Formats: sequence, structure tokens, C-alpha cells
Amino acid sequence: MFEAWLGRMGAPVALLGVVGLIAFFAFPYDLGFLTRILIMMIFVLSIDLVLGYGGIATLGQAAMYGTGAYAAGLFAVHISANPLLGLLIGAGAGAGVAFLSGLIVLRAHGLGLLMLTIAVAQILHEIANKARVVTGGADGLSGIRMAPLFGRWHFDFIGQTGYLYALAVLVLVMVFLRALCVAPLGLTARGIHESPVRMAAIGVPVYGRRVLIYTIAGGLAGLAGALSAQVTALVSLQVFSFSLSAEAVVMLILGGTGRLWGAIFGTAIFMVIHHLAATADPYNWLFVIGILLLGVVYFIPGGLMGVRQRLRILFGGQG
Amino acid sequence: MIRPKLFMALLAGVVLLASGAVAPAGADVIKVGVIAPFSGPFAIWGKQFQDGITVYQAQHGTQVDGQTVEFLYRDSGGPNPDVAKSLAQELLVRERVDYLGGFVFTPNALAVAPLIDQSQTPTVIFNAATSAINARSPFFLRTGFTLWQVSVPMAQWAYDQGLRAVATSVSDYGPGLDAEAAFASAFQARGGVVVDAIRMPLSSTDFAPFMQRIKASGADAVFGFLPAGPPTYAFTKAYNDAGLRAAGIGFLGTGETDETTLDALGDAALGLNTAYHYSAAHPSSVNKAFINALALHDPRAVANMASVGAYDGAHLIYEMVAAAKRDGPGAVAAAKGLAWESPRGPVLIDPETRHITQNVYIRVVDKDATGRLFNREFATIEAQPDHGWNR
Amino acid sequence: MGMVFNIALDGLSYGMVLFMISVGLSVTLGLMRVINLAHGGFALLGGALMHGLTFQLGWPFALALPVSVLSVTLIALPMEYVFFRPLYGKGDLTQVLATIGLTFLMIAFVNWLYGSALLGIPLPPSLRGTVDLGLRTLPVQRVAVIVTGMVVLGALYGLIERTRFGIWLRASVDNRAAAEALGINTRWVFAATFALGAGLAALGGVLGAELMPIEAYYPLRYLVVILAVVAVGGMGSVWGAWFAALGLGLIDTAARYALPDFGTIFFFAALIVVLALRPQGLSGRAYDV
Repeated sequence: MFEAWLGRMGAPVALLGVVGLIAFFAFPYDLGFLTRILIMMIFVLSIDLVLGYGGIATLGQAAMYGTGAYAAGLFAVHISANPLLGLLIGAGAGAGVAFLSGLIVLRAHGLGLLMLTIAVAQILHEIANKARVVTGGADGLSGIRMAPLFGRWHFDFIGQTGYLYALAVLVLVMVFLRALCVAPLGLTARGIHESPVRMAAIGVPVYGRRVLIYTIAGGLAGLAGALSAQVTALVSLQVFSFSLSAEAVVMLILGGTGRLWGAIFGTAIFMVIHHLAATADPYNWLFVIGILLLGVVYFIPGGLMGVRQRLRILFGGQG
Repeated sequence: MIRPKLFMALLAGVVLLASGAVAPAGADVIKVGVIAPFSGPFAIWGKQFQDGITVYQAQHGTQVDGQTVEFLYRDSGGPNPDVAKSLAQELLVRERVDYLGGFVFTPNALAVAPLIDQSQTPTVIFNAATSAINARSPFFLRTGFTLWQVSVPMAQWAYDQGLRAVATSVSDYGPGLDAEAAFASAFQARGGVVVDAIRMPLSSTDFAPFMQRIKASGADAVFGFLPAGPPTYAFTKAYNDAGLRAAGIGFLGTGETDETTLDALGDAALGLNTAYHYSAAHPSSVNKAFINALALHDPRAVANMASVGAYDGAHLIYEMVAAAKRDGPGAVAAAKGLAWESPRGPVLIDPETRHITQNVYIRVVDKDATGRLFNREFATIEAQPDHGWNR
Repeated sequence: MGMVFNIALDGLSYGMVLFMISVGLSVTLGLMRVINLAHGGFALLGGALMHGLTFQLGWPFALALPVSVLSVTLIALPMEYVFFRPLYGKGDLTQVLATIGLTFLMIAFVNWLYGSALLGIPLPPSLRGTVDLGLRTLPVQRVAVIVTGMVVLGALYGLIERTRFGIWLRASVDNRAAAEALGINTRWVFAATFALGAGLAALGGVLGAELMPIEAYYPLRYLVVILAVVAVGGMGSVWGAWFAALGLGLIDTAARYALPDFGTIFFFAALIVVLALRPQGLSGRAYDV
């Protein structure tokens, strides 16, 4: 039983870790950029949980990311420089904001819901801006000095510790999410996504489950924010920005919603292409991204994960 | 079932593409990494920086004492400290740059402070304007300006013109609050009164409400600061439309009439007073040469504070290379107290703050013979340091 | 009293700009069920065209305005055919991805053409003055915006309530299948409505350029506020969009007069309260994303 579970869940996730380690040795000079990709993957996974599994439309997930980032940053500055404790604080703060805002936000549907999620992030953005004494306002929250990880590994100049730290967290998040997806909560979430009416009819407390999903995802977003705060050692107002939420949603849809690998894949593709296009021709990289998105919509419906199905059909159902 | 192997293989391939070959630094090439926004709403900053540096190299060659100075540009997008930091890591580790430059936003500059401390890399800030940045690392130098530096002379000049009651009206974020504090402290120190201090949300589009409030405050003039772009445009428009100009309420600004937005402002900008460290119309032979070389490089290019900040930044880096080559601490030591004639006038790197000491000019928007708007300097307040250093 | 008057006047003109820019999106959303995030892009195209015609070529404002608005309307027709027709009936997320991609292309195009600087649109002398209203003065340009907004509202009302096209439109919004069964050419209705909405966005973009200046990133900068109007107004409703635009314009303006320090927080808090009380929007017709 356990071995079967391990085979089904463990192997692919282990592979993620292995590929991450290969990248670590293959690209020793790009660890800063690769770390950003890993953190973004966790953030996009949190949106996948909300949007892909919970069916909750959101353009305001940055609210939780930002709260996690500021919470972890302030915790490091004022209380303890322990990175792992900081992560927990960040995740807790993200979950807390998600729970409180979810109670109101999740009563709405559709465009109204979308707008409410945006509004929550905008309000937090403004609060962080006004609380300049605490957050540093537009100058950013600086003065974060992390203690060594497990008391041994310093956050080094090249970013090796930061990268491996982020990779480990990402792998744990994947394990957690894959377990969650086959757990009763994950299955009901899926059911609610397919048909809230039927799920309500069979006695599932739809609203409560949606709040729960939103809270868990908020915790993950807070985790990603906290990681970012610790690795960058600075938090700026940008963590609450609409463009961060929107860009992450684009990455998710690009990869394919409702699939964990879609989030991983979409993030990697988007960020790498962005990086390459912006390096080659920063003035016109939007052309490349725009054409990429339209190309996916009109030629590969279902996101990049849809390619797999296309290929499978092409090669006669072998999958 | 999912075929993770296939995806991971693809993923690895993609990541492989992202990383180019590792280029060994040539022994006689000194590399300078420039981190600035080249894409997104702030892309114009990157272009202005690049123009300034290109013109400097066109005028002075790419060699300093047999060393070739090469500039590498990296796109930070907007105020993204995480991006700025990872770009700085990449530049320092892979490209082995000996100097860094650029930086439009304060958080981006602050994020690299721990890195340049460790690598002892002199870093020339072309713009990011919060006074406190230079205190965060002994390797920061700045060729831009700070809001304290231009707002204090503005307040003193306003008082000398007989203005006694001024309303301040600033965007509600760090730089705006700096400008507000700087103006108020200098104006009150002379005996003036700030009759109203308005903080406007950054996302404001309609400024008519603030104008009505300024009108009602009984001020002789309004001192404003907003980030350049759509806000400054809408603010100056509203100043005219709400009848403040007609009511004789003076306009005291800083960068609102920046050369890159001046044409769009149109005749509404005529007669606006600002205090700033650079006007493209500064009457000097050094500036003329700079403007001509810029036109030669790109006829559509516009000279403004960003391009001259980068131009002087390139000069400072050349001087440091000449003095100390790759020795970071030596380069910073050589930069301290360095004085030269910039397109903006005489400048000096203050040995204590490592910030540029420069003239601040009081200007008025005027029309030249061809009907084009420009900032005409008519009063000079000489050798202003960063007044915000000890706050 | 003076303040109430000020808020009413400035809120009205701001709301009218929001109305003109957003109404097209509200109607097309109701009709085609496409969340067109690229809608603001039409305002950008109109503004950029206007900038080119007036500022660069020196055309008179009165000639350039109809040419710009008509051009955007005509550009929208083939775009509807190529980009949007395949999206009808597709998942919402696919639509989001496609229209964001389209927005990026529009931004990249204007950015490539003019760079990311402000694109000024010089006003004609007749719109530059101010009108004295006794209590205060009002720029002629704002009077023009308010009048145009009312004319647009009246024209849309007439079009929808009084013409055959309006009957087709209403029928298609309420039940597309039934409308088709009755012989209404819904494809044509879709295309015409889409183009009309794009043209109105261009008109709003140009007339509102004094408040919301045109630059390449316009569609993203104002996306949130456009979405807010549509969400509060409820989909497919001209009246809903009008009330929402005016309401949000008034709230935003009132916040700036009364408590500028917390203006943004107040605006979004008000938005949350409205949407929490009326999740379907004012018109009561929801759109499930």
C-alpha cells in the first residue's frame, strides 16, 4: 500500500528534486534566477490549488504572498533570524489573511469574486505603504539578516544555500499537494469545482470547504512570500502588486490549470522565455510573450500540459 | 498517467537554454553591469541610461589606460528587489563585473547592498533618490540627486520671492514624503508657513479635488512632487484647469517638467517654476557637446536628468578605473572628493556621503525660437549637498 | 455645500470617462460571455492614433477625433473575426490567457511605435478654457466629457430600446440559442456590438486623456478600475455600467476631498462592501467566471 503510494506520488516528486539538483550543478552562475523560478513555482502552485482545484477565480493571490513576505521579514528583523521559524510565520500569516478575507470574498462568484480578491490585495498594498515606520514604505523593508540554515549553512553570496533551501521547500510543497489532491478534501474541492450544486446536494458544506481550500492555498502563498523575503533580504511593496497576481495566473493557465505539473511547467516556461526575451531585446519582449500566449490558446488548448494529450493521440494512445 | 520524465527532461532542456556559456573575463576588459528597467512602464529609464553611457563612450572612447571598459545591461523591470538582486549576483559571479551602475528604484539599490559589501564592488547609482541608500554600503556612490537636495533650495528660493504661505501636495509614498519633509523644514526654518500638507494616493488619476483643496487653503503657492509620467501630467493639467494659475497661486515643482514629458504637457506647462539639478537647455559648452553627441547617436533621443545621471556615472566609473582599475576600495577612495565639469554644471563627489554635490537651478518653462518647450534656468543655487544625509 | 458641489461635479466628469471606457466591455461580456481583458487596449489604440494625427501630423482635433474612433471601430471588426470568434464558448481561463496575450501585443505595438513615454493629445482652443459656474469654475473639456457621456448613454439607450438592432441585441444577451432559432444573425450582432464597444472605448480614451493620459501601458494601468466598473455594474447592462461608473467616480472623488490620506483604502473598501452586498452587481446579472 505504502509502496504503491510512494510509487505513484513519490517518484515524480523525487524527479523534480533530482532535476533541481542537476540544474544546481549545471548552472552555478544562475542560482539567483533559478531560485526566483522555484519560489514562483510555489506561488503558482498555491494559485493552482485555488483556481485549478477549488474553482475560485482570483487575481489577488499576491495579498497572501505579500503578507507572508512582510511577516517573515518583520519577524527576522525584530524577533528571530531563524529561517525555518520565519517560514512558518510567513505561512501562518498568509493563511490567516486568506481565512479572514476568504470569509467575505468567497460569498461572491464570478467577476465579483475576481474583483474582491483584487480589492483585498490593493488594500493591503496601501496599508503597507502607509505604515512606513514599520514596513519602510516604498523604500522597502530592509535590514533582514538571516541566521544560517540549521545553524550551519550561511546564505551565501552566490545563492547556493538559498537555491537548495527553496528547492527543498518546493519538493515538500509538492509532496503535500499531491497528498492533498487524493485526500477527501482535495476530492471534494474537485467536486465543488465541477458542480457546487451537486456537492451541496450530497451534504458537502461548499462554502466552508472553499474557505478551507483558500486558507491552505493562502498559507502556501505566504510560504512563497516568506522564502522570497529571506532570500532577497528585502521586501518591497511590489509583493502586493496586481501585476504579480496576474502574471502568476498567466503562468498557471499557460501550463494548464488543475494539474500540479502544469503550474511547475508553466512557470518554468514563462520565466525562462521572459528572461531570454528580455535579455535579447528588452524593449520588445512583450511581443514574444504575447505571441506565445496567443499561440498556446489557438494551437494548444488546455495549456502546455495539453501537449502531452496531443502527443499521446498522435502516437496512438500510448501514454 | 503523467509522464514526468518527459516533462522533467524538457524542463531541464529549457533551463539549459536559459544559461549561456560561461564567458571568462578578458584580462584587459573591465566590465560594468548596469541594472535598470528596460521593459515595462519604466522602460524609458533604461533607454535614457543607455543613451547617456553610449554618448559618453562615443566622446571619450572605450579605453582607459589600455583597459577596455565594457557596459552590460540587465533589465530589472519595475521596483523588483528580488530581480535586481539576482541580476547583480549573475553579473558579479558569472560576468565578473568590477563595477555596477544604474538603479532607478530605492528598494532595488538596497537589495544589492549586502552583495557589493562582500564583493567590494563600487556601485554608482544613477537615480534612486532616497538619501539613506548611501549609508547602507560604503561602496555606493550616487550621480543622481535626492529629493532633499532639490526641495530645500526650492523652499529657500520661494521664501526669498516673498512667498509666506505654501501648500505642499505630494504623492503618498517614500520619495513624496521626503520632498514634503524637506520643503517644510527649509521653508519653516526661514519663517514661512505650510498651510496645508496634502498626500495624494499614488493611483490618483483625477487631481481636481486636491486643487480645490489647495485653493481653499489660502496658499500663495503649491509645492508638488509626483513620480514622473502620467501623474505629473495630470497634476499640472489640473493645476491649470482648476484655475490655480488664474487665481495667482504659484507652482513650485521639481521634476514635473522633465524633458521626456514636457512635449506632452504642451502649453499648459508654460511659466511653471521648478528647482532641479539639470535642464537640457543648460547653457554651457559641455552640455552643448553632450546634446550634439546625443542627437548624433539618436535624433529622437531627449536629454534629461536620467541620461545625464548615467553620463556622469560613466565618467565617475572611468575616473575610478583610471585611478584604481579593479581595486574596489581603492576606486571608492579615489572617487571621494573628485570634481569635474558635468553637462549640468560643476559637480563634486562629497567625501562623506559619496553623493554628488551640484548646483540646483530655478527654472521656468519657456518656448524656444522653434516653438519647442524647454526649462529655462534663471537662478542658480550653488554647490548643494544632500540635505537629507543627517536626517 | 461647496464641497458637495465640487464632489458632484468632479465625480460626474470622472465617472463619465469611466463609463465610456467600460460600457463596451460590460455589453460584450453580457453578449458573448468573453472576459475581454484587452478592452482597455482599444482606448489605447484610439489615443495613440489621436496622438499621431494631432500631435505629429497636425490634424485639427475635430477631424482627428472621428477618424480615430472610426478607425478603431473598423480595426475591431477583423480582430473580432480572427481573435474573438474562436474564443466564444471556450473556457474562461482560455479567454483570460488569449485576451491578456492580445493586450501584451497591443502594448508592445504602441511601445514599438512611440516608446513608453506619454502620448500627448493637444486640445483645440475651444476646449481649453473654463466655464464659470458661480461657486467654482469648470474646464470646458470636462463639460464636453459630461455632455458626450450623456449623449452616449442616450444613444445607447435609444439603440437598445428603440431599434431592431436593439431587439436582436437584447434577445441575444438573454438567450442566444433562442435568438438564433428565431432567425437572428447572432454572429453579426456580436461583431457589430464588439466594434461599437471598441469605438466607445477609443472615444472614452481620447476624451478622458486629460485624466488618464495615454501611454503604452494604459490597458494594464487602468485594467483594475475598468473591471471594477463592470463588476459593480453587472454584466450586459448599459444602465448598470452607468450607475457603477458614476458611483465609483463619486466615491473616489469624495474620498480625495474628504480623506485624501486614505483614498485608495476607502475606494477598495467601498468596493468590497458593494460587492459583498450585491455580488451580482447592480444590474443583478452575474457572470460566473
